[in-house]
Amino acid sequence: MRQIKRALLGGLLSAILLITGCSPFVENNTIEEIAPVIFWFIKDGGEGKLNISTLVPPLIKEKKRLLSKNVELLKQGGKEFNLVYYRELKNGQLRMILINEELAKKGILSMIDTLLNDPNISQRLYVAIVDGNFSDYINSQLSQQANLDYFLYRMFKHYEDKHQGEMSIVNLHQFKNKLYTPFSDPILPVFKVDKNNFTYQGTAFFRHDKLIGKINKIDDEILQLINNDHYLKLLPLPELSVSIDHVRGNTYMKLNQDYSSLSFIVHLSGRIDEYRGNKNLHDYEDFLALNHEINAFLKKHTVDLLKKMQEWKVDPLEVGKHTLRPFKKSMSEKEWSNYWSKMNINVEYQIDLDPLKNMNQ
Amino acid sequence: MRSLSIFNKSSTFDGIYVILMVNRLQLLYYFFILPMYLVYPYMIWGIIVMGVLSQFNIMLFSKWFSSVTSPKDYQGFVKLFGEPTVRIFAFLGWMIILVKITIITLSYIEIVHQFIFPGMNMNWLIFFIFLLTCYIAGHGMEKTIRFVVISFLLSVWMLLLFIPFYIPPIASLQDLLPIIPTEWPKDLWNKLVFLWSCYSGPELLVFMLPWLSPEQKILKYLTIANAFSVMEYVIVFVASLFFFGSNYLLISEFPVINMIRYLQSPVTERLDMIMISIHMIHFAFAASIFKLFLYGGARIVMGTWNKPSTLIGFMASCSLIFVCTIIVKETLWMEGTEENIGLMVEIGLGALTYLLVPSFLLMASKRRRRV
Repeated sequence: MRQIKRALLGGLLSAILLITGCSPFVENNTIEEIAPVIFWFIKDGGEGKLNISTLVPPLIKEKKRLLSKNVELLKQGGKEFNLVYYRELKNGQLRMILINEELAKKGILSMIDTLLNDPNISQRLYVAIVDGNFSDYINSQLSQQANLDYFLYRMFKHYEDKHQGEMSIVNLHQFKNKLYTPFSDPILPVFKVDKNNFTYQGTAFFRHDKLIGKINKIDDEILQLINNDHYLKLLPLPELSVSIDHVRGNTYMKLNQDYSSLSFIVHLSGRIDEYRGNKNLHDYEDFLALNHEINAFLKKHTVDLLKKMQEWKVDPLEVGKHTLRPFKKSMSEKEWSNYWSKMNINVEYQIDLDPLKNMNQ
Repeated sequence: MRSLSIFNKSSTFDGIYVILMVNRLQLLYYFFILPMYLVYPYMIWGIIVMGVLSQFNIMLFSKWFSSVTSPKDYQGFVKLFGEPTVRIFAFLGWMIILVKITIITLSYIEIVHQFIFPGMNMNWLIFFIFLLTCYIAGHGMEKTIRFVVISFLLSVWMLLLFIPFYIPPIASLQDLLPIIPTEWPKDLWNKLVFLWSCYSGPELLVFMLPWLSPEQKILKYLTIANAFSVMEYVIVFVASLFFFGSNYLLISEFPVINMIRYLQSPVTERLDMIMISIHMIHFAFAASIFKLFLYGGARIVMGTWNKPSTLIGFMASCSLIFVCTIIVKETLWMEGTEENIGLMVEIGLGALTYLLVPSFLLMASKRRRRV
């Protein structure tokens, strides 16, 4: 008797919901009718507009094509794609957001906020700066590489997960966190793109949400060494005809009392992996001389890198955090910026390298 | 008319139920918004200090509980205060519980609405929750109290989710600096009241005295529950400081859920959905036990406590809550928690009742002994 009553009650309830047409669930998620979006490329569309592109369909065996729209609002772009494509595109799988460099110079906070606010979009969304027009690259590669977008995502993920310190991969949350944390400025990776290549170029520094400068090659490698993962799988120094592998750098920073100078000490250990110069590394004197050269070389470039940061008034290394004390009021960011831009910097490298074994004289 | 056995009593509950109930009632909704209110790293001390003060309050309460003259059921209260006074108190309590259940329901629904069903009309959600809690409460006081075990076991593991935030590189100790305040924030009082309100919950035991076994060492159990709540609050708050840093915390709504969203799982990306859904069990426990309090309170106010409880009475009392929730939602409720009047009222009421109830009861029974 009780069960019958319950069944009746349940049936009645669902009938009320269904028949009257006021089903509370208004969105359609039928899997055949939707397609996930893997990346968005955003560039300046002129006149304050954004030009947003994506590749459809992702991960389905169907001919791919690039959709591109000129829109005022980011989410408007997402909606307009649906008007030209037969499936509904959902942002739930959005994995990468690639922003054109010119646009990044104007500030990207509004985009970051929009994406962070959407509960469907993961906060682990990768953000990267692209120097060049990514759509050209996609268009020219469409016929040559299947699943291009997915491969790019795998690359980002690989370099994030393994912490190999070769690319500065940054996600949405990290960007926003650094933006709001005092004494730290956000960074993003920069990729150079043309018709045929999509290559990692270096790291872009941001002041607030605007791109202010970028570094590449040796500067970027040093940044990885002293900031990001403190580890490089390989550090080639072509100027000295030497490459070092498994390089580990531990950084110690010390500010003096009145914040007028910073001593910056890097303990660096690694193994000489290749040498093409004309020193005899079996000779202790020569080995020391090479060590000395490497030391001077790294020191010079580190000083240059720090000088650049001072010039741009950015502090991605979070040097300012060393002024924080448990019992002391922290200074304002503006105050710190003044100190930072005028600070004297002493860089010191303490190098501990294993010599090259098994080599011909 | 068919009578219900809602308030029947076949056995009493011992310490473990007290621990679980008090702990869950303390943690209810505030768990999600605590970091947003506290913001500054040195408020860790605030959590701890308020936890210690709450411990003093608990000592008062347990002193009253274990004193010989303390009443153990409705008749005892009538002997102590006289029937008209008890009915006035019951009415006050009834109002407070009504406000509490309304606001807690709306707060929880707001989270569900924002993170899981943004396209859904909130009234539907309120309706579904209403059905669920009616079902649980309909099983009577004893089964609802037993339900706390399920609620506890299902929600306590969420603490483990916060461990990854303690591990670098997300965590850096500098996020906790300055650990000693250099200047007090302007609305420190608000924060302290909020924290005090976070620990309110033990006073609700007054409504279920007949179901608690009288000869237990209640102080021990309440202390364990309180200490566990302190620990949970500290764990969550420190994790959110590591994750957001205090400046970013200042602008993020529902920080705890946003933190969970950042975690990765190979099975599902939306861990927050699972967490919110599981929190529903926790919420359902609180809402259904409040429903029972309300019905009981209404019966005392109307003077029908000694008559058997009826289905119609129970349903009427539940429907009143539903109607009340819808009205509040349609008129007063503002989404976005910072300036939400409803939440302010709830925080204030929670703090006030927790402050007054134990000391008042203790005083009353002292006076009685002297007379």
